[in-house]
Amino acid sequence: MDGTIGILSQVAFWGLYSGCIYILLATGLNLIFGVMKIVNFAHGEFLMLGTYITFFLFVISGFNPYILLIGSIPILIIAGVIVERLCFRPILGTGKLNEIFISLGLIYIFQNLVALIWTDEWRSMRSPYADILINLGPLQLPLDYLIIITVTAMILVSLYIFLQKTALGRAIRAASQNRKGAMLMGVNVEKVDMLTFGIGAGLAGAAGTLWAVSGQVFNPYMGSIPAIKGFAIIILGGLGSIPGAIIGGLAIGMVENFTAFTLGGSWKDAVSFILLIVVLVIRPTGLFGEDEE
Amino acid sequence: MKRESILYVFLAICLTFLLLSSGCTEQQPSGEGGEVRIGVVASMTGAASTTGKDIWQSAELAAEEINAKGGIYVSGLGKSVPIRLVQGDDESTREGGQKTVSKLITQDKVDVLVGGYSSAVVSAHQAIVAEYKVPYIISGGSSTSVSHRNDIDTSYMFFHRPNTDDSGEASILFVDQVVRPALNGKFGFSEDRPLKLAVIYQDSPFGKGQLDAVKNVIAARNLKIEIIAEEPFKMGESDFRTVLTSVKAKNPDMIYSVTFLNELVPMTQQARRDVGLNTLILAIENNDDPDYYKGVGIYGDGQVMESRFSPYAVPRGSTEEATKQFLANFDKKYGGFAGMMGAATYESVYITKEAIEKAGSLDKAKIRDALATLSMPQMMEIMKGGVISFSPDFRESKFDLYVVQLAMDPASGEPRPFIVWPDNLKDREFVLPDWYTPGSS
Repeated sequence: MDGTIGILSQVAFWGLYSGCIYILLATGLNLIFGVMKIVNFAHGEFLMLGTYITFFLFVISGFNPYILLIGSIPILIIAGVIVERLCFRPILGTGKLNEIFISLGLIYIFQNLVALIWTDEWRSMRSPYADILINLGPLQLPLDYLIIITVTAMILVSLYIFLQKTALGRAIRAASQNRKGAMLMGVNVEKVDMLTFGIGAGLAGAAGTLWAVSGQVFNPYMGSIPAIKGFAIIILGGLGSIPGAIIGGLAIGMVENFTAFTLGGSWKDAVSFILLIVVLVIRPTGLFGEDEE
Repeated sequence: MKRESILYVFLAICLTFLLLSSGCTEQQPSGEGGEVRIGVVASMTGAASTTGKDIWQSAELAAEEINAKGGIYVSGLGKSVPIRLVQGDDESTREGGQKTVSKLITQDKVDVLVGGYSSAVVSAHQAIVAEYKVPYIISGGSSTSVSHRNDIDTSYMFFHRPNTDDSGEASILFVDQVVRPALNGKFGFSEDRPLKLAVIYQDSPFGKGQLDAVKNVIAARNLKIEIIAEEPFKMGESDFRTVLTSVKAKNPDMIYSVTFLNELVPMTQQARRDVGLNTLILAIENNDDPDYYKGVGIYGDGQVMESRFSPYAVPRGSTEEATKQFLANFDKKYGGFAGMMGAATYESVYITKEAIEKAGSLDKAKIRDALATLSMPQMMEIMKGGVISFSPDFRESKFDLYVVQLAMDPASGEPRPFIVWPDNLKDREFVLPDWYTPGSS
């Protein structure tokens, strides 16, 4: 019995870890959608960029890879701002088709650019804590994953404080709730768009850093699948809802891992999407989505 | 106005790029136009791009060597003609493979196709090859569901690789003849105790073919090996923690993994580092690649792999010199070592040369007939009987396979392979690693 609980707890722990990566990715995606109402299929490429920038900084500096978050997040924020300025700003409000094609184009551009700079070989990196295990009751948990879960929680708390307590954060929330109303109240929505896109990219970059630090392999084409999962999560949790992205990310992480444990690894994506369909049938706006007025 | 100008410039760049990338130059007929066109089907982008690059570079090396010696002599033309390789990127997907093979055949007008990786990808474009009847020397796609299929005409397809039955049999014989006795000896288990094997396999024709082969060999030879877990995973998976946790709960003595390179590296690392599954992982030959040794690092120490060509473990004997020469030439040209898929593709280009010279023509039916009756000396990979030839039934070449065990090399900081089976090829004895923990007795 103890053994069974131990194994199930271990699977839940892996689900929590997967959930952390998904939460960071989906929160950024939802933040951007909430404010700008754009569908950016290239969001997974920011995660991929995050892995490579972390890898690059790690190789040239030799610093602790968790410290490198201080470097990778700002770089991704800047990348996000540039993408928003050059690609999405000019086509904002011109129709969803333009957004989709711009984001599809960005996927190829990012993938080829990264392959050109770092080649398209699979890469991985090794955390200095890779061999450290922590005993928690029946569980032996690698320290890296505990750090990853803690770092994710810290990033989310920081994001919450930023959105709730700062003027910029309030402006983002205002633009998200009512864009025209925010403009009438003097909020510079163009600046808010730019900042929101940057923060969204930064969160995806943080997910990329944690992905790399956890020892997962990466190459320039690895961003597409997480991006699809990210979209599934924000639809599941509710478009534009940050709590929805957190709960949705956790739910998908858990469902994937318990499915792999019970039905086998080849079923995990199918069951995740079955969950998505069931939720949408019962509640079309997602778990935390608000009804259209 | 300014925005419109930017848009026009952007459109102009896109148009230029499209024109350049579509290869909008007039095609010359092959042969009489002075060249033999060989289409190389390789995953240049996508999940299998590391292997794809290996395939392409090795084909390039072989073509350069042949061209440096005057090219391929075509008696029907009364002259030697050089090889021109045409790259076909299958994008590591079924659809990408169909697209590029169609283009190679209908637009590039290739005389022969070589390459092809992944049973799933190859099986998707076989019908196109069958329809146009282009000789195709396939060095991947090892599932028997690819080479033994009878729903299409495969008579123009020649398989220069062991099929899943061959590699499955070699791997399981190694487990039975070497690992099981070592385990029983070290841990005092009874001779009757079956070795507990967990199979973690890619949910694809390749993975399923290997699983079937393993089961068939165990049943046919009545071996004392019990399969205690069968865990499929999706192609391209990088998170194996839960699957490995599930396997660990079943106390295996050994894991039989059927993976691609990008899957084996995280699986091996996560097994020992994250899940604490201190068991042997037996991998399949397609992973014998420099990138595996580089990627797996210390977690590869003590692990085992069935192989037919290894960049770092050259079998002694008649293929030794050719292998060392190939590796040296590859290293000189590209700065690194080729993997197994590269070696097989390199040989495939030479097989093409031999077949065309034998056919004396670039007529595809004649090349096919020449391939069907081909018998040329083995090159780098050790062949049954020392010759490369294709079986009359399914047109498959037959290999002498071996198993390597990895040991850390302090100088490079990476593990290096040593042949441990069979006896006539082995460099050293197989040893159970110190960190190894057997399943329950």
